[in-house]
Amino acid sequence: MNQSINRRTLLKAAGTTAIVSNMAALNVLSQPSFANELVRGDKSVLLLWLAGGASQLETWDPKPGRPTGGPFAKIRTSIPGIEISELLPKISTRLNETAIIRSLNTKIGDHGQGYELMDTGRVGEPGVQFPHLGAMIAHELGQLDSRVPDYVSMYTSTEGRRQGSAGFLGARYNPMFLTDKMIPEDIRRHEAITDVDHQDRAALRDFFAKKFVRDLASPSVSSHENAYERVHGLMACDYLFDIDRERQAMRDHYGPTQFGQQCLIARRLVEAGVPFVKVARAWWDSHGQNFETHRELCADLDQCMDALLDDLKQRGLLEKTLVITLGEFGRTPQINGSLGRDHFANAWSCTLSGCGIRGGSVFGKTDEDGQTVVEGEMNAGDLFATIFSALGIQYDKEYMVGSRPIPISDFGSEPCREVLA
Amino acid sequence: MIPRLPLLPFESLMRLNLAALMIFAFAGSSELAASEVMELAKRIDDHINHRLAEENVQPTELVDAAGFLRRVTLDLAGRIPSTSELDAYLSADAKERKQQLVQRLIESPDFAYHQRNQLDILLLLRQEHNDQWREYLLEATRENRSWDQLFREVILPEDTLSTDPRPVAFLKRRTNDLDAMTNDTSVTWFGVNIACAKCHDHPLVSDWTQAHYYGMSAFFKRTFQTRQGFLSERFDGTTKYTNTDGEEHEADFMFLTGTKVDVPALEIDEEELKKLNEQIKTSESDEKADSPPRPEFRPRAYLVQLALADEENDFFTRNIANRVWARLFGRGIVHPLDQMHSENAPSHPELLSELASDLRESGYDLRRLIHAIVLTDAYARSMMRDSVAKAIGEASFAAAVPRPLSPRQLSLSLRIAGTGPDTLTQWQSDDWAKRRDELERQADVTARRLAIPDDGFQVSVSEALWFSNNPSIENDFLNGSNDCLVGHLKQIESNEEVADVVSKAVLSRQASDDERQAIADYLNARSERRENGLKQVVWALMSSPEFRFNY
Repeated sequence: MNQSINRRTLLKAAGTTAIVSNMAALNVLSQPSFANELVRGDKSVLLLWLAGGASQLETWDPKPGRPTGGPFAKIRTSIPGIEISELLPKISTRLNETAIIRSLNTKIGDHGQGYELMDTGRVGEPGVQFPHLGAMIAHELGQLDSRVPDYVSMYTSTEGRRQGSAGFLGARYNPMFLTDKMIPEDIRRHEAITDVDHQDRAALRDFFAKKFVRDLASPSVSSHENAYERVHGLMACDYLFDIDRERQAMRDHYGPTQFGQQCLIARRLVEAGVPFVKVARAWWDSHGQNFETHRELCADLDQCMDALLDDLKQRGLLEKTLVITLGEFGRTPQINGSLGRDHFANAWSCTLSGCGIRGGSVFGKTDEDGQTVVEGEMNAGDLFATIFSALGIQYDKEYMVGSRPIPISDFGSEPCREVLA
Repeated sequence: MIPRLPLLPFESLMRLNLAALMIFAFAGSSELAASEVMELAKRIDDHINHRLAEENVQPTELVDAAGFLRRVTLDLAGRIPSTSELDAYLSADAKERKQQLVQRLIESPDFAYHQRNQLDILLLLRQEHNDQWREYLLEATRENRSWDQLFREVILPEDTLSTDPRPVAFLKRRTNDLDAMTNDTSVTWFGVNIACAKCHDHPLVSDWTQAHYYGMSAFFKRTFQTRQGFLSERFDGTTKYTNTDGEEHEADFMFLTGTKVDVPALEIDEEELKKLNEQIKTSESDEKADSPPRPEFRPRAYLVQLALADEENDFFTRNIANRVWARLFGRGIVHPLDQMHSENAPSHPELLSELASDLRESGYDLRRLIHAIVLTDAYARSMMRDSVAKAIGEASFAAAVPRPLSPRQLSLSLRIAGTGPDTLTQWQSDDWAKRRDELERQADVTARRLAIPDDGFQVSVSEALWFSNNPSIENDFLNGSNDCLVGHLKQIESNEEVADVVSKAVLSRQASDDERQAIADYLNARSERRENGLKQVVWALMSSPEFRFNY
């Protein structure tokens, strides 16, 4: 029997009144209407973050035979007419759930700013802390009283590590950030206290808290209560991070790498109802030895992404889970003197699979050497609008920050309807 | 036409400032000053009460003595009161104790630390932890350095270079980002957020056009940092921008008020300018290069001059008056704090003008302003606990609003609460300044992992998980040794008495009957493992919202 907690069940169990009162407690920002509540409850995003910037030419947009093509061939895929790099053989057989976007032109080729751009969907601005994608998804899809985390981010490598912040959405939507351990900090009980005492102590706390918060209409105080109310629920999901509970065959399917294990954890989290999970795989920044680097990293990506899509599909989760592969930018078509490729943000690729996506499609086109986008140019805001649309989130809804409306996807962004189901 | 400003040499700016300092020195802490402060407090109350009467709003009762002590100690000393402070206050003469308490706290070593910590949050905008900068701020708050003086030092750090390189941190953190220098300066010192006017005239606020944004940015355009870490300005450099019609403009050196600075013609030829620019370029990358000469025309000096001369809009004074108010009330008279413009009127315009003009006349004495505010009735109101609260709204200041503690307030308060009451009494009667400094440093690690509250602050679940499960909580705050609270409680036999002691030590108030009963029951059920039980009781109180907020 599958013991995971289903968010939709919880939503029903909680009943609507509980949700309404919690919403009222957080009225600082625009809260979703009841219609939007339908979006919540069972959709998730799983972001495979290719940190450092993967080469589009060795993955989704190969140009073999051209001066910029590099040594690897392209291979046919399960979709007639669509070819990808031979470094992704497993994915090539299962493109039916995946859309490839080959026409990102995001212009910023610097790690820090590129990361910020692809993580917030817009260029930064002094005086405004824009939330990162995960925080926005957590805000849109998460339940306030959820018994599972609503934003988990795994980033074990030290290169390019950035925690990501919820910005103006507030600390409530900051990620649970896993770095050196495979389980979140402080999620397990300290051995100095027994389980019973831990629970009783919380009840005594609750006695004092209830007296204090009685009839207070303070969103901040409510958030404190909300945070403590969630503690035991979150502690109870420590098993989600324990992949020893998976069959060996399943673990083998994901492969022996750390990325594989994290992808497996990610699937367990999504299955339990976590709305946003990010798994970062570093370090794709191949200024030298681009081809050796990609031979190794693409093999890992190929196996893990294949296993993930497979596993999600078999569990009936793929149709409500959006899997994204993305990094801060792509890599130059030119091959430098160290057989490397440098930072390149003018014509690069990403993929979207599963929830709300028209699988087996390719959108956009680069020129024969991959130097420029010649068809269907998209920027970061358009990609974010596409991601929100795929999840059924109104892509142009606005948050009010002070007196200023800030749209969830940057001003002027349009979703790419061609890749949407 | 725009009047050309007289070119004030920098010396005269410094002289102006000396005058301001002398005013402050004269004011001192004499009885005259005390009665002036009371008068200001009364005028503040008059403004608030007048509006309440006008709108027929009934304010809440004043908070009880213990509640006031906790609130004002958190606000002035940056920590909760100790048990002995609580006992002393409750038994003191009710007529005089409030004024005496506030006077004592304002003059205590605690005040300078807390004021420093608050300014650190405001000025570096949570961007970094910088020990040298914090030390500089502490020196400034210890001598109650005036706000305009601090402004000069921070915006023109090169003028104090020879003696003190530390105030450079505010700009240095931002020199590589012109937009950050422009907007962070506008937000923190003038209460104005003009970022929206960068790419187009502000869509909602007609006060702010692109010319304002780039006018402000022009004052920083020439600022650079040498490799050795010094700040200086170039001899040339203007800001250009394109408006929404695609026309290119060259920005004036223009303050928020629209006042522009005429740029004197450069008295050096192109050849020499080229040489100087080479020299500047070298100094930016070469650690050994000498600092390049400084130009006579210094845009940032003009910014300081214009900001301080602006008595009409008075962004500079109104901003800090509003921020101090917001810190003590949880809401600004202009709110949000960075939206001072014609379309976001203050809730109490006369009050804000009163505070600003008093602040200006006092020579920018922030301590005096804080002193007066905490003596008002408006500051001493209790929270509103029923459904009326929503209808009245926070802008009337008819009731207290619970304010989340800052990381340092919380961390320090946990330390104070976790220390044995007797130990604390001893510390406070014997060289408290030294103990306070130690506590401040001990509080650092915990403070750095907590989020700095902002508008609409929400407590994160990771904070709750951390406080529930992190082993450091047990070690730091629930320690059973004799000088700690849990160790002290161990020696008390009666569980009811434990409840009384723990309530005063942690919640800074007496326990109610049902609370005494709940704690006693909890401990009675754990007589086999009493020390564990005591730790759990202390934890339950420390993790309560009552502890987490200043209410």
